Amino acid sequence: MKYRILIVEDDKTIQQQLKTLLTGSGYEAEGVTDFTAVVEQVKTYAPHLVLLDIKLPGDDGFAICSQIRAFSDMPIIFVTSSNTDMDELNSIMLGGDAFITKPYNTAILLAKMSALLRRAYASGRQEVLTWNNVSLHLEGSFIEYNGQKAELTKNEVKILYYLFRNVGKICPRNDIIDFLWDSRLYVDDNALSVNMTRIREKLASIGLKEFIQTKHRQGYVIV
Amino acid sequence: MDSRKYLADKLPAILMNLTGMIFLAAFLAVSGTDGYSILFILFVWTVALCCYVATACFLRKKYLDKLLAMTQELEERYLIAEVAAKPERADDAVFIEIMKMAEKSMLEKIARIEKERREYKEYIEQWVHEVKTPIAAMKLLGENNRSDFTRELLAELEHVNHYTEQALYYARSEHTEKDYIIREIDLESVVHGAVADSKYLLRQNGVAILIDEMDACVYTDDKWLRFILNQLIGNAVKYRGEQPALHFYVTGNSTKCGRTFYSCTSSRSESRNRACSIFSCRKADTVSLTVEDNGIGIAKSDLPRIFEKGFTGDNGRRVPSSTGIGLYLCKKLCDKLGIGLAVYSEGQGTKVVLSFHINDFVTEVQG
Repeated sequence: MKYRILIVEDDKTIQQQLKTLLTGSGYEAEGVTDFTAVVEQVKTYAPHLVLLDIKLPGDDGFAICSQIRAFSDMPIIFVTSSNTDMDELNSIMLGGDAFITKPYNTAILLAKMSALLRRAYASGRQEVLTWNNVSLHLEGSFIEYNGQKAELTKNEVKILYYLFRNVGKICPRNDIIDFLWDSRLYVDDNALSVNMTRIREKLASIGLKEFIQTKHRQGYVIV
Repeated sequence: MDSRKYLADKLPAILMNLTGMIFLAAFLAVSGTDGYSILFILFVWTVALCCYVATACFLRKKYLDKLLAMTQELEERYLIAEVAAKPERADDAVFIEIMKMAEKSMLEKIARIEKERREYKEYIEQWVHEVKTPIAAMKLLGENNRSDFTRELLAELEHVNHYTEQALYYARSEHTEKDYIIREIDLESVVHGAVADSKYLLRQNGVAILIDEMDACVYTDDKWLRFILNQLIGNAVKYRGEQPALHFYVTGNSTKCGRTFYSCTSSRSESRNRACSIFSCRKADTVSLTVEDNGIGIAKSDLPRIFEKGFTGDNGRRVPSSTGIGLYLCKKLCDKLGIGLAVYSEGQGTKVVLSFHINDFVTEVQG
């Protein structure tokens, strides 16, 4: 099941881009179009989480937040350009779950969202990714194929996680490094090569050869 | 008040008196008064005159000295006209009146300037908030359409964001009111956040990042601290050397979030009573966050002046985009937050140490 996210943001570009970002990250996203009746749209769309701007035409974000709190406990993240402490205090007092200031780091936004969703809906996170009988265990940080296991380091798990999530797509090296940086792993190009070599050795040790293919000058891909 | 000068001021009156004496003596001599009587009259006149001048000088000196002392004690010296005793002399009253008028017009001017400054600050804050919306939109656009081209744009955008933040905090630092909330924050996540803010900039310039495990908690405002770290990262990128690297680590007493540990190594103090052990810890009660780079460093002769506004020194001549604002602002914000800021540089590389005091009261309550 996909989580539904409602974006309450009056800037058209940001709304559109957030939608693209969230859809690309596996959420279902919808933007509010009519700012005179935001709460009604929250009720009809029944999202799992709301991204709420403070400065809006019509009611401001604080008013909307307290109106939503009157009937629902859904997680609310304030996403705003105003970063005064008064606003932050207000947002917490009114029942906001998080406060993120523009220009937000998308990785941080997504991490906060998934943390809040997990807490609010307590669904079992998908901790094992499987493709062609190869399964990547995130919690245990190992990879399994035909009953054989290979232990992985933090970097290796993250790299494989990224490749597994984009199965069939070519992942440019730069995108992988970006993803690793977002996961607080600050590797450079050389370190990535070293990691890839090690991953391949480990995969070979459990009988997996050519599992990750290199596309010259483009990146890596799992097919 | 200088008594001699006072006498000089009184010279016309004294001369008048002397003239009067001469004329009187001449008149008396002509009208046949005997010499002794004339001398006696002149003597009495002189004594009376001297007494008068001395007393007047003394009283005047006392009054003015008191006024002077009062002014020196006042914090807002221009308010002296308000607190001065009501003048007895007619000319003093006029002077006090003039002072009051001058003071009033100055206060009005100050109030007007303060209002203008406040409005300007509000405008800057508002402007920064407005400009953050398009910055956020651009950032999202770039991250949704990743390519080498957008990566470069995103790095430039991080520059733009650095500068807008600088404007915001500059406006804030000029004002005395508190714009921050002190709370318990995890140092490591602030450092990671600051690195994330400059991700593309750091990657573009191939800066290697090393963040040691910190497990340290401090009491400060996370947004301000993040801004300070961002400025330091910006500096490290600006004054980078070959194969740039940036290292973040913590030294000093480590205090974990939610719980405090005194890492008092001295067993002697522990064996004594508790008050003693707290005292011995207090001296070392700081957590230091060090940001170390391997850049071009700072010339020894420049080090004492790096916190001055607009000072760019030797590096300013080498790197054209030096503004002399970054470290000045960092110092100012650190002073407000009570964070110690020290910069070390020996030839190559720069070490910036931020030291946070662990609030004794808070740790006591938690302990």
